[in-house]
Amino acid sequence: MDTLAHLMAGLTAALSLQNLAFALIGCILGTLIGVLPGLGPAAGTAILIPLTFKLDPTGALIMLSAIYYGAMYGGTVTSVLINVPGEAASVITCIDGHQMAKQGRGGTALGIAAIGSFVGGIVATIALVIVAPPLAQVALKFGPPEFFALMLVGLCLITGLGGRSLLAGLTMAILGLLIAMVGIDPVRGAPRFTLGIPSLYDGLGFIPVVMGLFGVAEILLAIQQPRRQVIKTDLASLLPSREEWRRSIGAIGRGTGIGFFLGLIPGVGAIIPTFVAYVFEKRLSKTPERFGHGAIEGVAAPESANNAYANAAMIPLLTLGIPSSPTIAVLMGAFIVNGLTPGPFLFQERPDLVWAVIASFFLGNILLLVLNLPFVGLWARILHLPYAYVCVCTLLFCVIGAYSLQQNAFDIGVMIVCGIIGYGMRKIDMPIAPLVLGLILGPFLEKSLRTSLEMSAGDFSIFFTRPLCLTLLVLAGIVLVASALRLQPRQLREGSTT
Amino acid sequence: MPTSGSKALKLGWQVACVCLLGIFVPALVTSLGYSLTDALGPGPGFFPFWLSLIGGVLSAAILVQVTLAKAAEGTAMSLAPDRRMALQAIGVIIALTAAAALFEPLGYRLTMLPFIVGVLFILGARSPIAIALTALAGSFGVFHVFYQWLKVPLPIGAFGV
Repeated sequence: MDTLAHLMAGLTAALSLQNLAFALIGCILGTLIGVLPGLGPAAGTAILIPLTFKLDPTGALIMLSAIYYGAMYGGTVTSVLINVPGEAASVITCIDGHQMAKQGRGGTALGIAAIGSFVGGIVATIALVIVAPPLAQVALKFGPPEFFALMLVGLCLITGLGGRSLLAGLTMAILGLLIAMVGIDPVRGAPRFTLGIPSLYDGLGFIPVVMGLFGVAEILLAIQQPRRQVIKTDLASLLPSREEWRRSIGAIGRGTGIGFFLGLIPGVGAIIPTFVAYVFEKRLSKTPERFGHGAIEGVAAPESANNAYANAAMIPLLTLGIPSSPTIAVLMGAFIVNGLTPGPFLFQERPDLVWAVIASFFLGNILLLVLNLPFVGLWARILHLPYAYVCVCTLLFCVIGAYSLQQNAFDIGVMIVCGIIGYGMRKIDMPIAPLVLGLILGPFLEKSLRTSLEMSAGDFSIFFTRPLCLTLLVLAGIVLVASALRLQPRQLREGSTT
Repeated sequence: MPTSGSKALKLGWQVACVCLLGIFVPALVTSLGYSLTDALGPGPGFFPFWLSLIGGVLSAAILVQVTLAKAAEGTAMSLAPDRRMALQAIGVIIALTAAAALFEPLGYRLTMLPFIVGVLFILGARSPIAIALTALAGSFGVFHVFYQWLKVPLPIGAFGV
């Protein structure tokens, strides 16, 4: 009952003209980001943070959340029309979506993607409303040792599940944590790794680093990608036929379920739910040979899974303060920029804000459906924009974003350096997600570790004598061991083939 | 991490590992200068010390693993882009660096006007009208939107622009 009252209050706040406008702008910008190949949701959300600097926190977070899930949808357009995913999660949609477009059914592919995304998003948001408050209540009982262990589990999941190399993932997570140590020590006030540079006393800003790693790096990579032709297809008939509906309904339901449950696990990433949903549909189908040749279930299931994942991934962030992916980490950064720390205390301290943001997910999904069904032709036309102009716009936002948070040109330099590093990492396929997660969780992880050790006068047994903390640490260990074992056969296999 | 693959990829990982060691080892040495413990428990150097140590060990392990792995002969994949694209990427980085250096002395508008023209030219745009309009919109227009409407502080340079 309490939840319902909070939700209603949140809905009232989200329905205010101002917040509705923020959600609409966020959905438009998010879809635009998704549509533009080479600009992923993490980069898109990061570069648009400066737009929200002077907004009130509720409006800012509504807009940034809308940018996030808008981008998750927008990637479908490029997947279908030019066989290039606008963002990583849309990779699997290319397989059947592009085939449908080649057969002149591009409109139907985009239509079912919009409907599937809508259903996935709404169902996951309903589940978020049900699951989040009790989970936050449980998390309120956590002390610093439990939070330390929980963040460790999150980092281990992201490191273990997210990349192909556990060693590289761990190294990147540690690098992220170490970068987060730059600046004044939060507990004792001593400067660390500042090299005598005054600009480093406040630490390396999360926003410039992320803008570099994602925004600038993506531009540098995009310059090297050959441009693809937009396929000519029928975009007038968006609604599926009766037979296509029959095939899609189950796929949407299953995709939503898969996306939601995988969204609850930090580190799974957006690609895995879409891939699992696709494979599941193919295995379930009586005619699996249609997959890869324009099967509508091959679009409906992954797209539903994608949006269900996107909304479900907000649950660990809002209830536990654990970001599940780099994009969610960027959103967490936006919370922090606004003076808010995501986690269970936010439900207690700012229920107005949390519930307004959650309620805005419902409105955002409706807005996305409205934006994406009738205006699909317009989004398709954006693909014809010369890429040089898109690059310039992205770089402009990166420069403004990096500078304006601290009003320091040094941060633009940080962004450029991180852009070059991010470019190099992408070229050799080194995982970036653990670095970003380490960077955002670093201060919290250190603070909980040190507070825990202060509680026990430096005795590490505090982590092993509290049952919940011990359970979480064992879980972290299991994740790492399981990831190591999972990778071993493939590595051996690869080694043996050379 | 390549346990197999092209020589270029292997070299890329080796370079990355050396760079990582170049971060972790000095960080380890520096963190020893901060106190690892104090009266209240762990000191400012505690977390950085252990992170640097573990990071260094992991980087070294990856370096050894990558170095011992066989690189596939005849794999043509190269990490380097072709010459034109590489020049474009370098041009963008130089333009960004120049913009960062001039951002505060010249102000947003006077910095971004030539920056936009330059980057568009580097990336192959050749329509003078489109370039001019984009440069004006991206410098003076964006400044107006951010500074006046969104109240985001952007620098005004020495010339008052």
